[in-house]
Amino acid sequence: MIIEISHFLSILATGLFLLVGYFSILAPSSNSSYISNLIVRTYSHGFFFLLSSFLIYVWLAITDNFSVQYIANHSNTALPIFYKISSIWSAHEGSMFLWIVFLSLWGFLFNIRVKNSEVLKPKTMGVISFILVGFLIFLLATSNPFVTILPIPPLNGADINPVLQDPALAIHPPTLYLGYVGFVIPFACAIAFLLYGDSKINWEALVKTWSVSAWVFLTIGITLGSWWAYYELGWGGYWFWDPVENVALMPWLAATAFIHSLGVSIKSSQLRIWTILLSILVFSLSLFGAFIVRSGIIDSVHAFANDPDRGLYLLGFIGLIVFISVSLFILRLSSIQSLSRIKKFSKQSFISINNILFGALIFSVMLGVTYPLIYEFLFDQKISVGAPFYNAIFIPIVVLAAIFLFFSVDSKWSRSINFKFISTPISFSILLSLAFTLFVMQYFESKSISILASIFAGSLIIFRYIYEIINFIFSKKFINPFSVIAHMSLGLLLISISFNSLLSTERALSIDLNSTEAYKDLKISFKDIGVENNANYDSIKATFLVEDQTGRTFNLKPEKRRYFTRGQITTETAIHVTVLRDIYITIGDQLDDGSWIVNIQINYLIRWIWLSALLMGLAGIILVFSHRVKT
Amino acid sequence: MNLLLKLIVFIVPTTFILLFFMILTNEDTYPGADYNQFQIPEFELKVLDNSMTVDNDLLDGDYVLNVWASWCITCIIEHPYLTSLSKNGVPIIGLNYKDEQEDAIFWLKKYGNPYQTILHDYKGNLALDLGVTGAPETFLISDGKVIAHYQGEVNDQIWNDVFLPIIKDREMF
Repeated sequence: MIIEISHFLSILATGLFLLVGYFSILAPSSNSSYISNLIVRTYSHGFFFLLSSFLIYVWLAITDNFSVQYIANHSNTALPIFYKISSIWSAHEGSMFLWIVFLSLWGFLFNIRVKNSEVLKPKTMGVISFILVGFLIFLLATSNPFVTILPIPPLNGADINPVLQDPALAIHPPTLYLGYVGFVIPFACAIAFLLYGDSKINWEALVKTWSVSAWVFLTIGITLGSWWAYYELGWGGYWFWDPVENVALMPWLAATAFIHSLGVSIKSSQLRIWTILLSILVFSLSLFGAFIVRSGIIDSVHAFANDPDRGLYLLGFIGLIVFISVSLFILRLSSIQSLSRIKKFSKQSFISINNILFGALIFSVMLGVTYPLIYEFLFDQKISVGAPFYNAIFIPIVVLAAIFLFFSVDSKWSRSINFKFISTPISFSILLSLAFTLFVMQYFESKSISILASIFAGSLIIFRYIYEIINFIFSKKFINPFSVIAHMSLGLLLISISFNSLLSTERALSIDLNSTEAYKDLKISFKDIGVENNANYDSIKATFLVEDQTGRTFNLKPEKRRYFTRGQITTETAIHVTVLRDIYITIGDQLDDGSWIVNIQINYLIRWIWLSALLMGLAGIILVFSHRVKT
Repeated sequence: MNLLLKLIVFIVPTTFILLFFMILTNEDTYPGADYNQFQIPEFELKVLDNSMTVDNDLLDGDYVLNVWASWCITCIIEHPYLTSLSKNGVPIIGLNYKDEQEDAIFWLKKYGNPYQTILHDYKGNLALDLGVTGAPETFLISDGKVIAHYQGEVNDQIWNDVFLPIIKDREMF
């Protein structure tokens, strides 16, 4: 009964959203204030129905209601409550449900925070509602989470996938989803703006905080995912150009370009075409990500098992959204072009260069993701596009973007700047960065141009902003705190990634019990190995005593687990974290001579990579809050 | 300039969407299917009622190996189809996967038994060697060799598209 109530509430919500969409966009008298009040209220009711439906569903999961097929397939009575809840988004149906609830949540927040007098509000709510209707129909028709097993439900559930029983994973997907779907706000506003057709309306100012908030969630969500893959999946690195990592990276790149371009459009009504196109691109790429993971078109750790009908529906719906947006854009193109030209070496000019470079990055990732599919389709052969392709494209473009960023610090809005290349801040940063790069080249004997170029570009940014900060402290020259933090984190990110690839090493050793092997400056003694029986898995647990060159010792206990219910084997890595490096051990198989294969990695500055990404997110948070204080 | 921009924003997404449409509707895409051929690894397992022990030599010839368990929900859905296959003369061997003996026997009493023999892989060792990641999974085996493997529920469509072409080709059963 309670399952049906939950099911019914989401159907009801679909109907209400359909009404909102109809009255705000298609109905003839959509501009009267009576109608717009009705729209606002109906949307809120729709949201509360959907939210109640979801909360009941969470309750069903907590109380182990295995007559719900989805819960029976993905949860288990033995799980702690935390994982019973997170099991909801451990597979396709439930995660789609969460995705939709988040989408409606963003719409709801926009609905209550933006004044009714805002001309674009009714149409924005209408666009959001139509998107919600499309996805709710997708959920209810092709991936219904409310399907029941009646009359006799199973006594226990099939358990959540063990690699997903992890705190980082419980929060990684929701954070990422909040980011993905948050871009519905700028997208819907842009479409409302195009529908309305009055180029004087400043839709860009309306969506600034919303876009940056969504960007923060996306940034943090991707970082959490990277961290989880490092320690839980035993991947041992921070980024693998896995197709699903890539489909999260594309909206992030587009969103980053978008919020920069947005700034220009708010400030000077320039780059408006770029801004609109990017808002469409960010949201389409977010939807594309949902399509890639849910259509079964790509094999990946993230892919949900599924059937082609879902893929076709999603593709059709995304195609419709893109088609409508693009047609509207083409229709209104001539009216939104700004008349003033962008001045050379103004801040606007640097941001438009940034747009072009980011566009190139997005296109390359898109190509990398789709090319193997195209190739297999046309020639029936599997090929893989991996790190070498992405490195070859990303490093030069990112280094170039970083150098433009360095010069843009001096630029002014709407004014050309004559660069004096021997001005103090520029020469100060160039000299220090050159010195640092040469030092790295000599000391670490590195000859890799891509690494040295990245280090040089990263330090350029950092030194340039250090100069700004010094100026701020001593002569109170104005700086934007979020801009300084975000850009310095980019510099830090570049340097951390470069050192990580320069210094990190890895070796597979075969090692006997009670013997000691040396690797780099480490002495690794194999102390113990034993089998442990746990409630839902057996594990082989090894103990290693590691001594580094300073004589400090510590124990590392990697594990290999075999879970009973799914027969899955997981490796539990053991990591010793210090400020500069991680020592990362996983155990493999036992050889015939009785020794064990042990994989040792020394990962330099890997924590700094995540730290820089989180600092970027922090910069976004500062921007959102400083903006709220002002208004 | 404007015309070029209009063309680009129209053509680029349309190309990608058409392409994905073609890939999705391409008949041969079954993500759960793979056709890697390999020898069945050495094994020795008791049958479900403990009456005898089976190893590689006892299981020769052509047959379908279906991995199932009483805790597996999809197996209940798949079950009627396996029963109809078995009635049509397809020899199906069951591999009971990580399951309690009593539960499995009770399950068969409840839903019926389409299997000629059922191996009881309580620890999942053979399944692990075969590359099983869950249940249900189905293997097509010919003379001790796996020739097709499908992860997930076998139904009429999967049987006709994934297994039947090979069966006809090799004139099995």
